[in-house]
Amino acid sequence: MEKVKVMIVDDSKVSRAILSNHLSKTNFEVVAMAKDAAEALELYKEHNPELVTMDMNLPDADGIECSRRIKAIDPDAKIVMISAMKDANLVAQGTAVGIGAFLQKPVSTNDIIDTLMMMCQQKVSRIAVLRESYGKAFVRALRQGLLRIIDLKVEPELELYDKKYLEVNGIAVIIGLTGSPSGRAIMYMTKETMKGFAAKMMGTDEVTDDEANDAVEETANIIVGRGVSNVNDVFKDKEMRITPPGTICGAGIRVASPKLTTFKITAATDFGDICINVGFAEGD
Amino acid sequence: MDAKLVNPFIDAFMTVMPQIGFPTPKRTKVYLQDKNATSLGVVVMVGFTKQMRGNVVYNMNEDTAKFIASTMMMGMPVAEFDAMAQSAISEMSNMLSANAATNLTQMELEVDISTPSLTIGEGFSIKISESQYLTVEMDLGGHKIDIAIAVDRNV
Repeated sequence: MEKVKVMIVDDSKVSRAILSNHLSKTNFEVVAMAKDAAEALELYKEHNPELVTMDMNLPDADGIECSRRIKAIDPDAKIVMISAMKDANLVAQGTAVGIGAFLQKPVSTNDIIDTLMMMCQQKVSRIAVLRESYGKAFVRALRQGLLRIIDLKVEPELELYDKKYLEVNGIAVIIGLTGSPSGRAIMYMTKETMKGFAAKMMGTDEVTDDEANDAVEETANIIVGRGVSNVNDVFKDKEMRITPPGTICGAGIRVASPKLTTFKITAATDFGDICINVGFAEGD
Repeated sequence: MDAKLVNPFIDAFMTVMPQIGFPTPKRTKVYLQDKNATSLGVVVMVGFTKQMRGNVVYNMNEDTAKFIASTMMMGMPVAEFDAMAQSAISEMSNMLSANAATNLTQMELEVDISTPSLTIGEGFSIKISESQYLTVEMDLGGHKIDIAIAVDRNV
C-alpha cells in the first residue's frame, strides 16, 4: 500500500531521530524533518505531508504559532503535538489553532501509531496498519524460518483474507496470540506438502505421519514465535505472546474466524504451498 | 498435568452457563486421555499463556452448537450453523475461558487467553498435548459438550 507521508518538526536532533526510528518500521514514512518554524513552512509546501508531528519549543516560534502558520497555508493540515510539557492550557491553545492530538514525550511507538492512525482514518484504515505493521512481520518470519529450517529461499505473498472460512485439507497448526491485539495464527498445508516438507527438514524420505506432523508443528511454533518477536520489536509495549500449538488433521475442515481481520501468507515451494493465516481480533 | 487446574474450568462452566440460559449444567464424566481427540462437529480451541500454558478445547456436535446458539439468542431459531451462531459459540468459549482465567488468579496464576479458534467438520483429529490430558464431559439438558483441558503451570 501507499505510505503515509509524515513531517517531523522538532529542534532536537535526538528527538527527530527517535521519532523517525519509531515510524521507520511502519507504513508511515518520514518525508521531511524541520528544526524550526521557518523550515517547517518551507518543507510543508515542498512535501505536502499528510501528517505533521510538532514540538512545542522551537527556536524561532513556538509549536502553536508554527501550527497556526501551517494551518494558514493548508487548513486541512493534520498536526499532532508531541512535547515534553502537556497541560490544560497548552491543549486549549493548541486546539484553538487546530492541533488534532497531543502527546507527551517520551512517546511509545504504540501511542504514536495509534494517534497518527486516528488522525488520518480516511487514508489509513485499520486493515492497512494491520497489514503493514503486523501481517508483514509474519511474512518476514515465514521467509526467515523457511530459509533457516530447510534452507529454502521464498518470497511469501501477503493478501487480505476475507472469505467466510479457511478450508483445511491436511494439517493445520493453530497458535493463539495474546496481548494487543489478540488473535491466532494458523500454519496449514496439504498432507502431500507436509510429507515433502518433513522429508526436506529431516533429510530423509522415510518419514512417518507422526514425525511429519511434529515437524510441521515445530516449524509453525518457530515461525509464529518469530513473527510475534518481529511485532514486539516494533511495538515495544504490546508484549504479544504465543500460546502452545494445537494441531488438527483431516479433510474438509473449515476454520471460521468471527470478528477477526485475517491475512493469508503463502510461500510457494516445489512440494506445494505452505500457508499461514494470521488473524487479529477486532476492537482491540 | 495437575488435576487441580481442571476445577477452575468446571467452576467457570457451572457459573457462566446458567447466566446465558442453561439453568442446570451437569458434569457427567471426567477422564484421562492420551490419544488425540476427535471432532464431534464443532471445535473451539482457546490457548493459554503466562503462568499457565496450554490449550482448552470445547468439542460438541453441530446440533448442540445450534441449540446453544439458539438459547443464547433468547430462543431465536437457528436452522443453519451460520455466522451468527458461530459467533455465539465463539463468545461462549471466550466467556468460559475468561471466567476460568479469573478463577485461576485465585490460585495465584496469572494467565492470558487467546482469541477462540472455531473449526467445523466432523471426525478430524485434534492434538493439544504431547502427554496425558483431562476431558470433562458436560451435559446441558441432554446436549453434551466435551471440554478437553491440556494445561500446565509455567512457573
